[in-house]
Amino acid sequence: MAERQLNQILTQLKSSPLPYTEASTLLSKAKLLLLNLSALTPSSSTPPSLLGLARDTYEQGALASIRAKNSDAFTRYVNQLSPFYELPPHVLPSGSERNKVTGLYLLLLLTQGRYAEFHSELEALSTMGVDVEGDRYLGYPIRLERWLMEGSYDRVWKAMKKGEVPCEEYGVFSDILTFQIRSEIASSSERAYPSLPLSSTKSLLFLESEGAVVDFARSRGWIIKDGTIYFPSANAAQEAGEEEQEKETSQMIIENTLGYARQLETIV
Amino acid sequence: MPGKTPDKEPVENGGYRGGKDIDMTDKDLKPKGKKSIKDGDDEMTVVVPPSKSSKHSSAPPPNDADGDVAMDDSDKAEDGAVKVDPIVQTISDIKSNFALLDRAVTLFDARFSLRALRSISSIRKRLTPDILAQVISETFAANSASSHIAKGLLLAMGKGDVSLGRQPGPEMEIDSEPKSKNGARKEAKEIIPEIDIFIGILTQVLLFDSKQTQRGFEFSSHLASRVQSLNRRTLDSLSAKVYYYLSLFAEQLAPLPPSPQSSIVSIRPTLLAALRTAVLRKDTDTQASVIVLLLRNYLSTSHISQADLLVSHTQFPENAANNQVARFLYYLGRTRAIQLRYTEAHEHLTAATRKAPSSACALGFSQTATKLLMVVELLMGDIPDRATFRQPAMEAALQPYFLLVQAVRVGNLEDFEIIIADHADTFKRDGTYTLILRLRQNVIKTGIRMMSLSYSRISLRDICIRLHLGSEESAEYIVAKAIRDGVIEATLDRERGFMKSKEVGDVYATREPGEAFHDRIRACLALHDESVKAMRFPMNQHRLELKNAQEAREREREMAKEIQEGDLDEDDLGGEFEGM
Repeated sequence: MAERQLNQILTQLKSSPLPYTEASTLLSKAKLLLLNLSALTPSSSTPPSLLGLARDTYEQGALASIRAKNSDAFTRYVNQLSPFYELPPHVLPSGSERNKVTGLYLLLLLTQGRYAEFHSELEALSTMGVDVEGDRYLGYPIRLERWLMEGSYDRVWKAMKKGEVPCEEYGVFSDILTFQIRSEIASSSERAYPSLPLSSTKSLLFLESEGAVVDFARSRGWIIKDGTIYFPSANAAQEAGEEEQEKETSQMIIENTLGYARQLETIV
Repeated sequence: MPGKTPDKEPVENGGYRGGKDIDMTDKDLKPKGKKSIKDGDDEMTVVVPPSKSSKHSSAPPPNDADGDVAMDDSDKAEDGAVKVDPIVQTISDIKSNFALLDRAVTLFDARFSLRALRSISSIRKRLTPDILAQVISETFAANSASSHIAKGLLLAMGKGDVSLGRQPGPEMEIDSEPKSKNGARKEAKEIIPEIDIFIGILTQVLLFDSKQTQRGFEFSSHLASRVQSLNRRTLDSLSAKVYYYLSLFAEQLAPLPPSPQSSIVSIRPTLLAALRTAVLRKDTDTQASVIVLLLRNYLSTSHISQADLLVSHTQFPENAANNQVARFLYYLGRTRAIQLRYTEAHEHLTAATRKAPSSACALGFSQTATKLLMVVELLMGDIPDRATFRQPAMEAALQPYFLLVQAVRVGNLEDFEIIIADHADTFKRDGTYTLILRLRQNVIKTGIRMMSLSYSRISLRDICIRLHLGSEESAEYIVAKAIRDGVIEATLDRERGFMKSKEVGDVYATREPGEAFHDRIRACLALHDESVKAMRFPMNQHRLELKNAQEAREREREMAKEIQEGDLDEDDLGGEFEGM
């Protein structure tokens, strides 16, 4: 009885992307049913059919919450899913959404800067014998991470545009990623260029118009003069920093020498 | 040793013979200065530290007498040993360990059980089911309370038909006549749990060597639950071994580790329970060994976050055995490397490689640890020492890593990709593959640094071609990032598309030499502190020195007095000084 109800809800969820409020009411209903069937977490006594249903429910929940940009809810669903993914294939045949959800989770970790967890997750995937790089959903965040790390921001940018995105849910992160790479580029430009012409800054920062460039430059405190951007703040900060460093160096040397003297005293 | 009767001596004496190699390592044993002379055993003489024997020449008399009795019997035993075949020898070796365990319990000294454990490696080579079955049947009485344990042991070996309570075989009777009396005494006494766990461990070893993994795993689970139910401090080091073999069996069972269905997942609760109990009982042996096993367990299925949680929620016992510390550091270093905490990983792995035994017995461990250490060093932007690759024991194993280091050092992206492709299987087997993939950015950075050092001005197009980067734009972003990260000192010109290197300043004007100097001094000081800590200070040694000083002072005073009185010649005085 409950199982049939669950099936109905699932088909409803899968059929078309519902608005989040509707989806979440359906999901909470589904979770209540799972609770009644005591299949919220897998145990040895749970029948395989129910396991599949429970997993599908969580997967739909994860996708719905990512569409609604609710990263907390998404993380919760992923955590609930992980025991199901650990099950052997003869108990629970792997479904279609697994790599998609895992890939999304990786992307989430990447955008939140949780690199340690990102790599831990990756390590787990590669030891499980999944072809990580070849997979459409999993390869995407991994490539992004590699490019971000080496600094090929233009490739990241291209990967986000032009239908390179494996599925629509991945598009959710593009805003965050764009913001991220833009600030990365800005901070490296401050150090790398003495000055930049406005026109080329537009393409450098992947902005649409020069007006947007001016806005962005203001937000970062850059000075615009005769169609050229100067980064005075960085220079000033650097000089001040150097002076500070000088002071620190002498202080450090004094401290070290005193330390050596004390140690010598104890040894001799 | 209260309650010790002379008729037990032959057994004990055998213990010394069986565990010769162990005696060598343990310097603080019973007085052996006497023994070595009497015995004429060349191996024994090696043991005796000259300074010690002279100091302890006045060893406590009761012990001395004990040793004498043992000596008298040893001649008899020796006669027997000449005639008996290796099987009997092995049996008596095993039995001699029982005496050690017995002593460990009565004296409440863990050293004796450790000694018994260390003899396993020498017994191991000679062990057969028949020998062990005989030992069990001779040790356990048929009608005693622990007979069901013995039955279980026998069943585990597939020797269920051997009856218990058998008297030593006829060939043993030559060995020593008092033995049969001894056997009778033993039957009356309850067998201490240490002995039956020890036999259990021998059974585990036997099953492991004969590749009976399934049976060994079942037996080990039983044994582990039995160890868990016994709360005896003298059992600590033994139970650590039991868990070790349990996990070893689990790893060898059918679905091998990487798969989530492997049986190592199923022993996690057992191990965690064991850890909890060990912590509560302050049983550092088991604690250390179980933590290491759990870490290994988690890492083999790549549950890195669990491993991390385990480390953060437990405290590794400080006085754990050196080998366990080395293993723990290795696994910890591995976890940290995966989590991108390279500095910590480097620290742990360096310590692990240094703590690894330098003899050939643990070569595998040092190789694995060194491999990982190298990858971590590369990830940190350092280049491993060339000398490491030249070590004869490591050379062959490290060959792929050597090529890798070369590619990274030169900053050649093409070579790097080729090496990864060529040796992917090796790296995957070593578990360093994912770490090595992360090296790509380091290779690029080194490449850029090389360019910046060689050219004062270079176009982005050239950089792009030389480093095999996708496009000029990529090259621009990558160089900009390198400048920001402080890899190179340079500026970019966007309009004309080139990178202009800044003049490299005088390195000695920076704080770098000071820092390097400070690091070295710190290392030396740390070494000094460690050595002081590692030194042993004998009790009351300072009093001896005080006494010496006092005597010297007295002598001086006397001399001064004599000089004053004038009845000391110049020659005499000179001689005195030379003597001092």
